[in-house]
Amino acid sequence: MNRQTFESLHEERWKAFEAMLDELDGKNPPEQSAQFPAMFRQVCSDLSLAQQRMYGLRLCERLNAMVIRGHKHLYRSSARLGEGVLRFIAVDFPRAFRKDIKLFWINCVFFLVPLAGIIIGSQFEPRWSHALLGTEQMAQLQDMYGSDSPIKHLRDEFGSNFMMFAFYIMNNIGIDFRIFAGGILFGVGTLFFIIFNGLFFGAATAYIHEAANPESFYGFICGHASVEIMGMLVAGMAGLHIGLGLLHSGRRGRKQALLDAAKRSLPFLYGAALLTFLAAIIEGFWSAQPVAAPIKYAVATFWFVALVAYFTFAGGQADEA
Amino acid sequence: MPETSPALPKIDTRHRIELTEGVEIWLPIAGPAVRAMAYLIDLLIRWGILIAAVIVIGLCSTFLGKNVAQGLMLLFTFWWTWFFYVFYEVGKRGASPGKRAMGLRVVQTSGAPLTWSQAIVRNFLRFVDALPVGYAFGLIACLSGNSFQRLGDMAAGTCVIYTGGHPASDGPMPLNLEPLAPPTALEPSEQLAIVSYLERAGLWSDARREELANHIPTLTHQTGREGVNRLLRMGWWIRNSS
Repeated sequence: MNRQTFESLHEERWKAFEAMLDELDGKNPPEQSAQFPAMFRQVCSDLSLAQQRMYGLRLCERLNAMVIRGHKHLYRSSARLGEGVLRFIAVDFPRAFRKDIKLFWINCVFFLVPLAGIIIGSQFEPRWSHALLGTEQMAQLQDMYGSDSPIKHLRDEFGSNFMMFAFYIMNNIGIDFRIFAGGILFGVGTLFFIIFNGLFFGAATAYIHEAANPESFYGFICGHASVEIMGMLVAGMAGLHIGLGLLHSGRRGRKQALLDAAKRSLPFLYGAALLTFLAAIIEGFWSAQPVAAPIKYAVATFWFVALVAYFTFAGGQADEA
Repeated sequence: MPETSPALPKIDTRHRIELTEGVEIWLPIAGPAVRAMAYLIDLLIRWGILIAAVIVIGLCSTFLGKNVAQGLMLLFTFWWTWFFYVFYEVGKRGASPGKRAMGLRVVQTSGAPLTWSQAIVRNFLRFVDALPVGYAFGLIACLSGNSFQRLGDMAAGTCVIYTGGHPASDGPMPLNLEPLAPPTALEPSEQLAIVSYLERAGLWSDARREELANHIPTLTHQTGREGVNRLLRMGWWIRNSS
């Protein structure tokens, strides 16, 4: 059979298949597409024949495009975005966390050691924290936590809570995503952000103790601090997953190792975004409320205990495979 | 599980994979240049919409209040920066507006459409691909592999392909050639190379045609114009005799 015969023999069927593809691509996909898989497989076999018999690029190209388009429809994932979110929060995320708790402790060290170091160092040499913060930040911190009445004066305008909430979403979740992405530089990018944040928080704390009112500072941050820092550290776990996956490729190639590591890092990326989102809600709508300090500390304790309990117990034991 | 078959040496950027249906397809992989164009179009669209949003939300701020308007703007900026590509690429067309304009689409390396996770990994890692300036890391990654994957593509297992087949196959073909049988029996891959030469010759300059034809004097026994001619006629013979 030569090319022309082959083409004229099947042309009608291909036209029908292309018409069906156009319909599937369109705005209103047809209800009835039961013959689709069978038609798709026939076109697949046509393509194989055309390739084997070398009917030329044009024909093969056309059939190839048809197969790719058909493949797209046959294998489109029908799972909805909302599906499984609850299961992820209740079971998958805390289990994944416990499985890789080592990465959490690594991140803790890289966050807490610079933080403690700069606080202790600043007791002997305040210029360390000054140098890290810069004059602009120092002025801002004094503005926020300098007076006896806490940052309340920044929030008495209508809608300012919402504005700050939006700001924390953009800023903090953006930082999480960068921490994650930095992992692909063999983990160095992730650790850079974690260390930098540790240094910055440490410097801010030291400076407020030196020049502003620590009580209003702690009153403000205590509510959301545990959730927000947890979110950042979990983002660090996601980044380190990718970084360590690349370094420890084992017997796979680096590319395959990267693929696997990225898959394993995803629960941590999603978890970090969720935690940071929660922290933004708390920080935007609760932390600046004019409430007595004991109540604030009580709420802060609640969040801390809730986090510990969640990551320790939620999801129960993983099923042994 | 689809697998790549590296058996044939590559004469173009087609990436061969085998589907579960047992058929081998090729993905016409798109290179960095056309993707950069798509990126620039997307950049213009992103900036345009962002400016439009500033204006609209600015107009609404009179009855929303200054702070609420600013908050909405921040939320929109966040969504727009991080999820613009994710939503478009996971959608039905599998392409952002810029990619669509350039006739491109993002798929899994198996040719299947993207999942949410893949779109997220691919586009969040964009941040690193863009480092240190002008997508330098992404470009290096693209050029170091055989399917033009930037780092985000590698981590997500995706690649960018031409939607409507490879542009190289659209060239005009020489007409009215007298078929010429090759002097020896040729392997299928060799036949394919000669037919591809015939089908693409219309896209090249004369000098380029001669340069390529001069690689196989053992087959044509000629160089220069006559070599080109003989090679084209052999291609015609193979194409029509099978």
